[in-house]
Amino acid sequence: MKTFLKSIADPERPLWKNISLFFLLMGPGIITSNVDNDAGGITTYSLAGAQFGLKLVWSLIPIMISLIVVQEMCSRMGVVTGKGLQDLIREKFGAKITFYLMIGMFLTNMGNVISEFAGVAAGMEVFGVSKYIAVPISAVLVWAMVVKGSYKSVEKVFLVACVFYVSYIITGVIVKPDWGEVLANFIHPNLSLTPAETTMVIGLVGTTIAPWMQFYLQASIVEKGIRIENYKFARWDVIMGSVVVHVVAFFIILACAETLHKSGVQIETAKDAALSLAPLAGSYCTFLFAFGLVNASLFSASILPLSTTYLICEGLGWETGIDKKFVEAPEFYGFYSLMIFLGAGIILLPGMPLISIMYFSQVINGIVLPVVLVFILLLVNDRKLMLHHTNGPVFNTVAWLTTGVMIALTMVLLVQSL
Amino acid sequence: MPINATPKDFYFFSELLNRKIYTPEGECLGRTMDLVVDWLEPYPLVIGILARKGFAGPAAFLHWSCIIRIAPQLTFSPSAASVGQMISPGPDTVYLRDQVLDKQIVDTFGAKVVRVNDIQFLHRNSQLRLVHFDVGFRGLMRRIGWESGLAAALRWMFAYEWPDTFIGWKYVHLLSGPGPLQLSVSQKKLSQLHPAELADILEDLSGHDREAIFHALDAETAAETLEEIDDPRLQQALIETVSIDKASDIIEGMSDSDAVDLLADLPQATAREILGEMEKDRAEDLRELLVHPDKTAGGMMTTALLSLSPEATVESALKRWKEEEPELDVLYYIYVVDSAGVLSGVVSMRELLVASAQQRLSEIQTSRLITAKLDAREDEVVDLLTKYGFRALPVVDDQDRLKGAIRLRSVLEILAPSGG
Repeated sequence: MKTFLKSIADPERPLWKNISLFFLLMGPGIITSNVDNDAGGITTYSLAGAQFGLKLVWSLIPIMISLIVVQEMCSRMGVVTGKGLQDLIREKFGAKITFYLMIGMFLTNMGNVISEFAGVAAGMEVFGVSKYIAVPISAVLVWAMVVKGSYKSVEKVFLVACVFYVSYIITGVIVKPDWGEVLANFIHPNLSLTPAETTMVIGLVGTTIAPWMQFYLQASIVEKGIRIENYKFARWDVIMGSVVVHVVAFFIILACAETLHKSGVQIETAKDAALSLAPLAGSYCTFLFAFGLVNASLFSASILPLSTTYLICEGLGWETGIDKKFVEAPEFYGFYSLMIFLGAGIILLPGMPLISIMYFSQVINGIVLPVVLVFILLLVNDRKLMLHHTNGPVFNTVAWLTTGVMIALTMVLLVQSL
Repeated sequence: MPINATPKDFYFFSELLNRKIYTPEGECLGRTMDLVVDWLEPYPLVIGILARKGFAGPAAFLHWSCIIRIAPQLTFSPSAASVGQMISPGPDTVYLRDQVLDKQIVDTFGAKVVRVNDIQFLHRNSQLRLVHFDVGFRGLMRRIGWESGLAAALRWMFAYEWPDTFIGWKYVHLLSGPGPLQLSVSQKKLSQLHPAELADILEDLSGHDREAIFHALDAETAAETLEEIDDPRLQQALIETVSIDKASDIIEGMSDSDAVDLLADLPQATAREILGEMEKDRAEDLRELLVHPDKTAGGMMTTALLSLSPEATVESALKRWKEEEPELDVLYYIYVVDSAGVLSGVVSMRELLVASAQQRLSEIQTSRLITAKLDAREDEVVDLLTKYGFRALPVVDDQDRLKGAIRLRSVLEILAPSGG
C-alpha cells in the first residue's frame, strides 16, 4: 500500500506531471458547473439584470463562496465514503425520511426538466423553429442518446459548445458598462427585501447551488474513483468550476442590465430577451444568446433526468443502470422516460409561459436547498463516516449560514405573500 | 424452509423499531432503538434491545430473556431473567439498525447487491430469530407506513395479492459484518458464486464495500474475478488496494493475456514491483508479453500452453498434460514443435484420447496449420477463430516459431460486448 501511495502522491514529482494528473482527474466539477448554467440559470441571471440592473450583482460573491463550500463538501464525501449522497442519506436517516426526500427531489427536478425543455423551445423560437417541432425532437434525441449509450461521446460536444459562454463575456464588454458603477455595486451590497427582490435572490441562489447538482457532483466523483491522496486535484476542479459559473453569471447579468434595464425593456419571454438584445448589442448577440440557451438546455436535459432517476432508484433500493434491460430495471427506465416525456409534454401545451416556468423552477430549487444542505452537513460532520475528514469550523459556519439565510429568505417570502 | 408456524408468529423489524417498552407495572422505559442479534447458525438469535428514553437519552441494553411479551405491549421484567439464558454481546454480535437495515447486502442466491428494507423474525418459545431479509417494495412501504393501506387498495381494486420479496438468511452476505466467524461463514457463501457473478457484484458495489469483498477473496478466486471485470479502471483500482505481495499472487493466478492487460494499465513502477515479487519464470514470460502492443496477436496471446516434440508418445503427452494442467491456459490443444521451436503440428485433446498409448504425436497431429503472426491485428484474429471454430489459435513469429496462443475466451468480449 505504502509504495502505491508513493507512486501517486509524490511531492518531488515534476510540475508538468502534476498538471497532467490534474487534467486527468478534472471533469466532475467543470461539467457540473457548466450544467449549472442551464436554461433556468441563464433565464434567472437575465431577469436579474433586466429587472434590477446591477443592484443584486453583489450577491454573486457570497453565493460563490457558498457554492465552493457546498460542492467541496459533497466531493469530499464522495471521495472518502465512495458512496452517493442518496446512499448516505438512506443509510443514516432510514427509509421514511429518504422516501419523502425522494418525492421532494422528484417534484423539484421535474420542474427543472420542464424548464430545460422550455429553454429548448425558447431558444429555437429565436431561430424561427416552432416548439411543436423542436421540443418533441429534442426529447426523443435526449432519451435515445442516453438509453442507447452514446451519451458519453456527445458530452464532449456539449462541453466544447460551452466555450460559447465566452459570448456573454464579449457581449458584456461590448456594451461598454460603467465599470466604476459595477464596482460600487459590488462594494455596497443593497437589498430592500421587496417580494420581487426576495424571490429573485432565492432564485439566484437556487439556480447556482441547485440541490440536484450536489447529488450529481458526488455521484460523478464516486464514479471517477478519485482516491483521497489525489483529492487536492478534485478540489481545484470544484473551485475552478464554481468560479467559471460566476464569471459567466456576472456577464449575463451585466449584459442584460446595461441594455435591457437601462432602456427599460420589460421581457416576458426568453425570445424577448434574445431579440431585445439585437438593437442594443448587435444581432449576432441574439443568435449567440439563443444558441447558448439551446446548448445549455440540451446539455442539462441529458444529465438531469438521468441523475434524478439514479438518485431516486438508488435511494429506494431499485435496480439501476443503463446497461440493464428494461425488464431488469423497470422502475429505472419508467422514471427516466416519465421525466423526459412529461417534461417535454407540458411545454407542448399551448400558451405555456416559458420564462416563468424557467424562473420559478429555480426559486423552488432555492427553497428546497436548505433541506438538502442540512442532510449534507449532518453527514459530512459524522465522524464514523468521514473519519478525520469532517468539516472545519469555517466550512461549517459558511454552510450553516447559507442554510439559515435561505430559510430566512423563504420565510420572508412566505410572510409577504400571505 | 422447515417452519410450520402460523403467520402470527412472524414479526417485522419495522413493527419493533421505535416501539415503547413498558414494565409489567405499566411504566414506560423508553423506545426500541436497535435490536442486538447473535449472528449464529441455524438462525441468528435476538439477544437484546437497545432502548433509549427521550430523544437523546443514554442507550440501555435490555436483555431479551427479560422481555416477557411482545404484544399487545413490549414488556420488560428484569426479574424474569434466568441466568443460564444470558448471552452478552460478543464478537458475532450484529446491531441490526446500525449495521443491516437500509444498508446494502449481497444476495448470494440471486448473485446481486440489494438494499435491506425490512427484516422478518420468527417468534418461537419466547425467542426471536432472524429468518428473512425483506428487499422488496412492500417492505419499503411497510417502513413508511403505507403498506396496509396500499395492500388493501390493491386487493380491493385488482384482487391482487401483493407479494413479498424475501431473501433467506442463509443467502445473505453482510457488508458491514462483525467478527472473524461471521466473515468465514460469509466467505463460504461468496466462494460458491461464479467469478463472473462476483465480478458483477463488485461492479455494483461502491468504495469500501467493494474493497472489503475483494480482500475477503482468496488469491485464486480474486484472480478469476478480476479476469471477469470488463472495466480496466476498476481492475486497476482493485489491485491497487492490496499489498504488492498479494497483488503479485493474484496476477500470477490470472491468464497471461488478462495479466498483461492489467499490468500494462498500472503505473510502470508498480508493475515492475509486482513482477519482481513473482516467480522468476512467470515474470519473465509476462515481461516478454508486455513488449507486444495491445490489440495485436502478441498482446492477446498467452504462453501458458503445452508444447512437445514430434517424437513424444501419446502416453507421455497425457502424463505431461496432467502434471501441468493447473498452470495451463490452453487446455484443449497440445502444440508440436521441432527442436528449433518451429510449429509443426497441433493435436487436440480429442485426438489424443482416442489414439493408442504408444503412437507418436507426429503420427496423429494435424499438419495443415492455421496460425496468426505476432503482429496480426485483433480483427484478423477474431476472423480466424470464428471461421475455423478453434478453441485457441497458435501465434508464430516470422520464422514460424511458436510464441503463444490466443484463446477463443479472450475474444468473446469483442464478439459479444453486451454479454458483460
